[in-house]
Amino acid sequence: MASAESLPTLKILMIGPSGSGKSALLIRYCDNQFDNESSTATIGVDFKLKKLSIHKKPYRLNLLDTAGQERFRTLSTSYYRGAHGIILVYDISSRESFNAMERWFEEAENNAMPGAKMYLVGGKLDKEKVGSGRKVEAEEGRGMAEKYGAVGFCEASAKTGEGVRRAFLELVEGIVGDKELMSSGSRRGNIAVSGDGGTGGGCAC
Amino acid sequence: MESLSDTKWDVVISETGLQHSLLALALSRSDKKVLHVDENEYYGGSEAAFSLQEVDEWVDKLGKSPNSAPFRNATLWKTEETASESSPKLSFSRAYTLTLSPQIIYTKSKLLTQLVSSKVYRQLEFQAVGNWWIYDANGSVLKRLPNGREDIFQDKNIDNKAKRNLMKFLKFVVDYENQTEVWEGHGDTSLNSFLSTKYQFPLHLQTVISALTLSLSPTDDTTVRWALPRIARHLTSIGIFGPGFGAVFPKWGGGAEIAQVACRAGAVGGGVYVLGTGIANVEENGLEDDPEAPAFRLTLSNDEIVGTKLYFRHSEHNSSNDPVVSKAIYIISSPVLSIFKTTVEGSPPAAVSVIAFSPETLRVEGAHQANPIYIMVHSSETGECPVGQCVLYATTLHSAGSKDILAASLKAFLQSIDEKNVTLLYSLYYDQTEDKNSPMDLSFDDKVLEKVEQQWNEVMGGVGGEFMKFGDRKGMEPNDDDNGDNDDY
Repeated sequence: MASAESLPTLKILMIGPSGSGKSALLIRYCDNQFDNESSTATIGVDFKLKKLSIHKKPYRLNLLDTAGQERFRTLSTSYYRGAHGIILVYDISSRESFNAMERWFEEAENNAMPGAKMYLVGGKLDKEKVGSGRKVEAEEGRGMAEKYGAVGFCEASAKTGEGVRRAFLELVEGIVGDKELMSSGSRRGNIAVSGDGGTGGGCAC
Repeated sequence: MESLSDTKWDVVISETGLQHSLLALALSRSDKKVLHVDENEYYGGSEAAFSLQEVDEWVDKLGKSPNSAPFRNATLWKTEETASESSPKLSFSRAYTLTLSPQIIYTKSKLLTQLVSSKVYRQLEFQAVGNWWIYDANGSVLKRLPNGREDIFQDKNIDNKAKRNLMKFLKFVVDYENQTEVWEGHGDTSLNSFLSTKYQFPLHLQTVISALTLSLSPTDDTTVRWALPRIARHLTSIGIFGPGFGAVFPKWGGGAEIAQVACRAGAVGGGVYVLGTGIANVEENGLEDDPEAPAFRLTLSNDEIVGTKLYFRHSEHNSSNDPVVSKAIYIISSPVLSIFKTTVEGSPPAAVSVIAFSPETLRVEGAHQANPIYIMVHSSETGECPVGQCVLYATTLHSAGSKDILAASLKAFLQSIDEKNVTLLYSLYYDQTEDKNSPMDLSFDDKVLEKVEQQWNEVMGGVGGEFMKFGDRKGMEPNDDDNGDNDDY
């Protein structure tokens, strides 16, 4: 059996304004959990790994969260290195968070490698009918995704789980369907400095 | 959004250069409340890396405040965009990552050990610094520096007597710490006279050994005491991570990339990052007023006032006596494959190659090349330029005419590689005043880590566990697999 290490690895980033629910989506997808109480900024999540099979071919997803660096818009260019896909998340119950998305799309376009796939998610779908309710129509989200050439759009709720898996799956389908993107970000010629000999030298594609 | 002043900070760190970013990394598992700010809109401080557009902005800013330490005299030249269709051109701005810190890292450096034990090495890609060359003005050619004993035996430029002496010296130098009687008495003499009197090295061999130290000083100022550890480090580093190389370079801009990755680790650990904001003023809180109050009140440049127990600010560099180095970054329209080619079986492809010019080897009109020059040639494999081009980082001690001297080294290099139609596409020149805290060095100096550890200890009060040694964070192991072919979503 092929070990997880040897599977083709896809690097996927979460970005978007503070409090849009990026971490909650990530944790719902990876751990199938939702913490109602947790409303604080993300601490302690470096990256998450998940195996995903598409068309019977297994991949290893390396999912990175912003670690709170979106708060003052201080994500570094190194965060975007080698990313195959980017999930941009806004909160459907916050007009302000949707309005911020143009700048997030532009930042992603400026920093990600050419051809990286973007996917727009309207999060907190469960808030549609509670509190002050929906502030952004699905059509607006779809329109923005099209405008910036995202491979897809959906609304999702980390709380109920609705739409979460769809977002990751559609993004990954978009990535693996692009042969050129899959072959970029090769780690050819890299030196394994950890002494375990496992990570460098080989090709991750 | 809650304001920064609502938090009682344990430490405020100013500037995101390599040293302070490593401090943020060291504190990333400490549960300390860390605020990390930088007056620049980018990470890295004086070790930042830029796209072409960011260089434009940087040069512009320096031009408006010509005394903004540590950088001065930045001048930029670009090839004409209107040049004919067929002539080589610069690519788009973000196709380039030009670094202010092209420092190589010896494989023996504790920095690598600490990047591994702190787990952030996974976010970095290291490449080999493979070939070392010395420019020979006789015939204007590059000669390969011996990369170990085998190379020396095969070197036809060295006669047998010199070979024996060289082997004797190499055997000594890797054990210099245990053989103080051999050199202690000569510690403060110049390396070249030591090599000449003690080992009868001809001038050619002296310059070869001297180049391995990456010394920026003139020959007479390169002392035995300073040089021996560096030669030993060079020799004993070869082969540690594979055959044929003794140093590595982090892809995408070296120290600049490490600083960013270290800051992300700081953020993952709960540190708050604010760019474009510096410390404008520091006040000590009198204990008599309020014993509970944090020791310092800092006014940030955005007028916010924050309280903190400790703060670390970047040192002021403004003494006119501090040494100044002149640096140039050149982009050329050739991959110069010949200088990256390895002669050692099984060695990885080199992405960085070092070219040394001994003092007095270049003739420059109106100037005198009294100091060594080094050019670090970076291939497109470093991610710093598009395929088919190279980025050259040239460094020498500042002197009258050092801009012309660096230009002469580029010209000599281009002649020596003997390729047709290589065009200079871009050139950035600047002077940099040495910062007392991190002396100008073309290789990473482990003393930086000692300073980081000292500051880390200060924050932790001596109870921080092992420095830079962390376990894996949770979430690393994949949970249940997702079979995406089940389409029930």
